[in-house]
Amino acid sequence: MRKEIALAVLLLGLAALSAAGCGGVRNRAERAERPANELVVAIGGEPEAGFDPTTGWGAYGSPLFQSTLLARDHNLTLVNDLAAGHEISTDGLTWTVRLRNDVKFSDDRPLTAEDVAYTFSAAARSGAVIDLNNMKSVAAVDGQTVKFRLNQPQSTFVNLLARIGIVPRHAHGPDYAVRPLGSGPFKFVQWDRGQQLIVEANPLYHGQQPYFQRITFLFMSDDAALAAAKAGQADLIAVPEAFARQEIAGMRLLALDSVDNRGIMFPFVAAGGRTKDGHPVGNDVTADLAIRRAINIAIDRQALADGVLGGFGSPAYSSSDGLPWWNPETVIQDANIDLARQILADAGWKESGNDGLLEKGDLQAQFTLVYPAADLTRKGLSLAVADQLRPLGIKIDVAGKSWEVIQAMMHANAVLFGWGSHDPLEMYNLYSSETRGIGWFNAGFYSNSVVDGYMAKALAATSEEEANRYWQKAQWDGQTGLSARGDAPWAWLVNLDHLYFVSEGLDLGRQRIQPHGHGWPVTANITEWRRKE
Amino acid sequence: MNSVNTLPCRNSNRRRLNRRQHTLLTIALAATLLFVLLGGALFLGEEGLSVNLNHRNMPPSLAYPLGTDWLGRDMLARTVQGLSLSFGVGLTAAGISAFIALVLGLAAALGGKRLDTIITWLVDLFLAVPHLVLIILIAFVFGGGLQGVIAGVTLTHWPALTRLLRAEVLQLRSAEFVLVSRRLGRSRWWVATRHLLPHLKPQLLVGFLLLFPHAILHEAAITFLGFGLSPHRPAIGVILSESMHYLSAGSWWLAFFPGLALLVMVRMFDILGDNLRLLYDPRSARE
Repeated sequence: MRKEIALAVLLLGLAALSAAGCGGVRNRAERAERPANELVVAIGGEPEAGFDPTTGWGAYGSPLFQSTLLARDHNLTLVNDLAAGHEISTDGLTWTVRLRNDVKFSDDRPLTAEDVAYTFSAAARSGAVIDLNNMKSVAAVDGQTVKFRLNQPQSTFVNLLARIGIVPRHAHGPDYAVRPLGSGPFKFVQWDRGQQLIVEANPLYHGQQPYFQRITFLFMSDDAALAAAKAGQADLIAVPEAFARQEIAGMRLLALDSVDNRGIMFPFVAAGGRTKDGHPVGNDVTADLAIRRAINIAIDRQALADGVLGGFGSPAYSSSDGLPWWNPETVIQDANIDLARQILADAGWKESGNDGLLEKGDLQAQFTLVYPAADLTRKGLSLAVADQLRPLGIKIDVAGKSWEVIQAMMHANAVLFGWGSHDPLEMYNLYSSETRGIGWFNAGFYSNSVVDGYMAKALAATSEEEANRYWQKAQWDGQTGLSARGDAPWAWLVNLDHLYFVSEGLDLGRQRIQPHGHGWPVTANITEWRRKE
Repeated sequence: MNSVNTLPCRNSNRRRLNRRQHTLLTIALAATLLFVLLGGALFLGEEGLSVNLNHRNMPPSLAYPLGTDWLGRDMLARTVQGLSLSFGVGLTAAGISAFIALVLGLAAALGGKRLDTIITWLVDLFLAVPHLVLIILIAFVFGGGLQGVIAGVTLTHWPALTRLLRAEVLQLRSAEFVLVSRRLGRSRWWVATRHLLPHLKPQLLVGFLLLFPHAILHEAAITFLGFGLSPHRPAIGVILSESMHYLSAGSWWLAFFPGLALLVMVRMFDILGDNLRLLYDPRSARE
């Protein structure tokens, strides 16, 4: 016991010291000592499975070593990368991609249609992360042309072309993931698992040569990254909101807009059902449209962004705010307790007891909101929302659980989820009748045949503009939709800002709206990064 | 835990208070603390625990003597609530633990050779595995949360006391007054309740008091590690593990005061138990 107490005192002292002591060393000299064309960053994102695109590497941000058929520019518009162009057949089932003929892998061998076909079949076989279920076949027609055949029309297939980096057929062995090789802007030098990744510019790269000839990615905890930045040992670090008020000499704070959203998923159906695994489905309280609408209208999203996120976030009204397929009409006037009260009263919810709780028949306006216990932001949002809704007469019991437990609870309880993708397929996955109860998608069993119809049309569309029009209608068509104005199966709360400390001299180019996942996505335009002279 | 062996006695001339006074003072302090905790937990209620987004991350001030956290919750209210929660868990767990130890200790000493072997083996088994690992396992099996923590702490803290009580009973069993009672035809139960129990009272009380701080620390430890109480409860372990995220941001008060409060409470009951033990022990009682 005595030893434990001594240990506790020691720990307490250390904690106090570390809190008081930081802000001490300010070393700008070291930052300046590095050659101008070398860069050290600590933004996390170390892939468990290594750097093989066929098993999931490079979903967001730059795949570094590989390049993709298409790419998104800073407006998220699709542009050609390896492709010289692509056509879709009128039935939407056959996609033909023509390749540039001047692209070489970093080992000086040409990139051909064979490599593309090989990559996509390998990715489909691996089944990991990347969803290529809908691809029937892929084949090289000639050296420069690839043909994809799909089972169903899927306009979002184009995102897979922009996502999967092409691997060389001749060099894709079992150790590829730890010694990657490709046609990307950088060449692999060294990877010390859990510590660092070092890359060098690829002189054979077909695109714009990167300014930085050598980049070191450090993989460390938030605290260690902050300390490294303060000591002048890193030019760019990703930081949580808690650190945003720090001052680091020679660095500035960069807050990037994102669709990295957080929102509450409501069980859409009444209680009683069960999944195949025996987990309960449905919740009588949240199955009531008035409850879901009133919550959406009563929540003060700006207060959440200012309060819980410390101003580093913005109100969210959908899963895709600001993206090309987003419908701006989904924005509602929130923080309106009076209107919410009216909606509830009209639907027959009355205050009868003296506990301030609304009741309807023998149903009480009370439900459980689950969040992943380890996530402080979601915990804060859950507690704050519960507080905001109490005056309305709705009582939310907040519970922090592990993901395993949440998986069993999520069909019958509200859950604080986070999504945010550059692929509209996410909207389909979250709201389609087809995805009810599948994985983490549509856990609330939402279903609306009109919405399903729009989304089917969006998937069958052969141009992005046409697809986007239908995605927008699925959100709100003036009558119904999946947004808060329609069925309100979710209450989206906030989009998080992604925070970075950046060296004064470092220019990160034009950054796009960031997807879910703080850290690696910032590298999407890594070839544009440069030091200001 | 050093509850079994006697400490070398210190030079009492240097002390201004003798041990009895010292013990009384500790008891008074402990009672005051408990009173403050219970009163505080009742009066502060839910008010201080609610989120106040306009007063986030405020350092200690007159309005918030222990500062506020990242959601603007009053750290004084949270610390008091946390301590009273810890106290409840500690009391329940140490109480049940002491009871288990008593039953098993008596059974081992009086119940025959085979039972004795089994219980001694169980004691050895539980002492051989690190507490923390066992607590995590048990808490997990019991579904986590409050009942998980109490079960975990309870089921891991009885062995040392059991061993002590068993040894004591073995010694008493061969005392003359017990032998005479047995010859006179008294039942084992009669002997156990009339002769043995009264003699075990001091060991039981001291054992309980020394288990108590241990139980609290272990509760805080597994809650800190995320296997214990629900993360939205204001438990000290939860408060401390949350504060870790904000240490590098300079919010020292989030960890310092709750940690200090836990330390003071644990140390106080530790001293209390130690002093009581020395007072009960005839060899050191008159020092």
